[in-house]
Amino acid sequence: MATVEQPVTPAFRRGLFAGRRGRRIRETLQAYLFLLPGTLLLLVFNLLPVGYAFYISMHKWRIQRGDFIGLENYLRALGEPMDVVWVVGGLGLLAGAWAVWHSIKPETSGKGFLLHAAVALMLIIGGLALVVGFPDMLANGDENLFKSLLITFFYSLGTVPLQIVLSFLLANILFQDIRGKTAWRILYFLPYVTVTVASAAVWTSIFEPRRGLANLVLTVLGVAEENLPQWLFEATGIGTLIGQWLGFEVPAWAGGPSLALVAVIIYNIWVYVGYNAVIYLAGLGNVPRELYEAARIDGASRWELLRHITIPLVSPTTYFLTMMGVLGTFKAFNHIYVMTKVGRTLGFPQGTTMTSSILIFKHFWERNQFGYASALAFVLTGVMLSLTWIQSRVAEGRVFYG
Amino acid sequence: MQGLLYLTLILGAVVAVVPFAWMLLTASKTYGEHSQKVFWPAGLTVRPYTNLSPAQEIVVDMHPTDAWHGSIASFSPLVEGVIPVNEVSRLVAENLDKKGIAIPFNVLILAMDTTDDGMRNYDRFVLTVDSRLAEQFTTRIKLGQWGGPDYEGAARGRWGPHFKVIEASPDQLVVKRGWNVGHMFFGNYITAWEQANFALYTRNSVIITLLTIAGVVLTGTLAAYAFARMEFPGKNLLFTAYLATYMIPWTVVMIPDYLIIVALNDFFKETFGMTNAWYNNWTALTIPFMVNAFTVFLLRQFFAQIPNELFDAALIDGCGHLRFLTQVVLPISKAPLMTVIILNGIWAWNSLQWPLIITSTADWRPITVGLSGFITEASAETQLIMAGSVITTIPILVLYFFTQKQFTEGIAKTGLKG
Repeated sequence: MATVEQPVTPAFRRGLFAGRRGRRIRETLQAYLFLLPGTLLLLVFNLLPVGYAFYISMHKWRIQRGDFIGLENYLRALGEPMDVVWVVGGLGLLAGAWAVWHSIKPETSGKGFLLHAAVALMLIIGGLALVVGFPDMLANGDENLFKSLLITFFYSLGTVPLQIVLSFLLANILFQDIRGKTAWRILYFLPYVTVTVASAAVWTSIFEPRRGLANLVLTVLGVAEENLPQWLFEATGIGTLIGQWLGFEVPAWAGGPSLALVAVIIYNIWVYVGYNAVIYLAGLGNVPRELYEAARIDGASRWELLRHITIPLVSPTTYFLTMMGVLGTFKAFNHIYVMTKVGRTLGFPQGTTMTSSILIFKHFWERNQFGYASALAFVLTGVMLSLTWIQSRVAEGRVFYG
Repeated sequence: MQGLLYLTLILGAVVAVVPFAWMLLTASKTYGEHSQKVFWPAGLTVRPYTNLSPAQEIVVDMHPTDAWHGSIASFSPLVEGVIPVNEVSRLVAENLDKKGIAIPFNVLILAMDTTDDGMRNYDRFVLTVDSRLAEQFTTRIKLGQWGGPDYEGAARGRWGPHFKVIEASPDQLVVKRGWNVGHMFFGNYITAWEQANFALYTRNSVIITLLTIAGVVLTGTLAAYAFARMEFPGKNLLFTAYLATYMIPWTVVMIPDYLIIVALNDFFKETFGMTNAWYNNWTALTIPFMVNAFTVFLLRQFFAQIPNELFDAALIDGCGHLRFLTQVVLPISKAPLMTVIILNGIWAWNSLQWPLIITSTADWRPITVGLSGFITEASAETQLIMAGSVITTIPILVLYFFTQKQFTEGIAKTGLKG
């Protein structure tokens, strides 16, 4: 009969580390060790810098640290303190009114009237506050900041809905029994995979007024040479341009985004439709087939299937893509930087492509105003957080998680 | 109905692909072709490459001269010789025909000595077609380099005949007269590569990307494993911290990171005597990005799904966490690791804003910044910019074609949060 050797307890399992408690201590130490490199890097380059950025924003800082000026940078950006109070207070009241409205349940009959009155009151006061504070804020604050917020807003409005609709359409088509699915997917994904600087350079050359592909096509379609759009050189709003084309005059303030910004929007849609479609495809795959079959048995038409089953059930994906799209427009830098290089100034032409991140970059890199740029970054983070909050509230009622 | 679907798909695919076709076509055009909106570049037809006579070595007698003007005149002494040209390529013949220049004609070659050792070691040469005008129609070549003069506007010597100086002595040059087919085909790519210093930038991008990927994989797998399979106090707090970094926009962190790098740079300079240990170095370009929350979350989700029985079995065998991670978990995590590698590779290769502000010299500049600078430099020469764009894009496209399945699957998973 063979003898069974007693296993020797290894050194790291004896003494302090013996037994169950020892194992837990060992695991804790190991975990901390595992997490050390990543956490250290995150701390130094991602977490602590947030505090540092706030510290910078409270100083006059041009490469070297200057005087401590408290919240002056923020006031320079947003206007007088009272204006900020009115606007933020007004918005807060409106948000509060919405929250109260949503908490009103049908059962609360007695308090119902009071709550409704409270909502109405908050709406009125909030609205008045905004009316009082907003114009002053616009007048006293940084005009360039508000202009860039408007531009970013136009940019979002131009890219996100169109992207979502087109990619949803594409995903639905690809989801059917189409031959060569892989090949189509490869082709549609190419724009997203290409290096941004390179594809932005390509589109810049496509938009060249005299030699580019866009105007080449327009010339073939019969547009006369003096009417060819100047694309990335055109600062006039697209509303005004369309008005000119149709023969009536649209004033500058109603012109909307400049043609240059529209060119950037077109590029952005081209890049992201394929990417969004792939994500939608995954979402479509999660919709249970039985639902479709049951609905078809009940005689639902194709359109009804789409409206009542597909769209609600991919709403998480839609919400995700919309959120990513909107947040992305605030962060967008690479392609705007490259495409507007034709004018050699940031925001060319005439500052109409100065989205928020380009504005911050300008204050940081060209004007060396580190303090002000940091303050702007925080203001924009605030705007982004509010947008995220608004989007999640809007989605709450509409996103169906199944 | 099916037909309509396919039509839409084709339309969409055309829109997706046309810019690439435009990029490739324009990258092969000459400046003239692009300005005159020629659709298909001559370089991509057979015309320039047919009926090329074989190369010949010619001995050129050189005589002293002072008949050159402009900045070339500052090099002295100068010697000049004559190379007869009896045959040109078809494209050049067409061009010369329009200008009324008859074949055969002469190409003047001028030799310069830039070695500054007074020994008459000619190493630079200037070629021109029967004109002594200093800069406008001349081409400069080095010893052993192919080049061709501007044959009266025929695309700066691209279509040949080309010349290469094989031997240079004070009175005589041995010149090979032939055809540089590579230059005819890849003309713009070669020019862009040299002018924009793409060799250095590509090397930098490759190193930066590989280092970043290595760092992310290392920190990511360790952190993800700890979160997924270990218990320790402060786990939730740390996880929230990782989550928080995901929410922080880059613009907020960019400025302090810049100051931190500069401070580190100064610190290293004073303490260790290393200049540019961080600024203008691969360290600042890679280390801040060697961890990202997205990777940690992706891997954590996968690691958490590994059945506990596997771990229990390993435990019985005397295996600790580290061994379990390296010998069991990693080998079965090929798919998520692949996604992590590809996504981080693309992000690293694509990054522009950070390298732009953290490098002031070309030493460690990646290809994105290089191309961006080249766009400003080359300005109106769109065809060179297109060639540069092709060069910048090819590595990622190659990676994509080889891994496109894991690629798209990985991307698709990022959207399935709901």
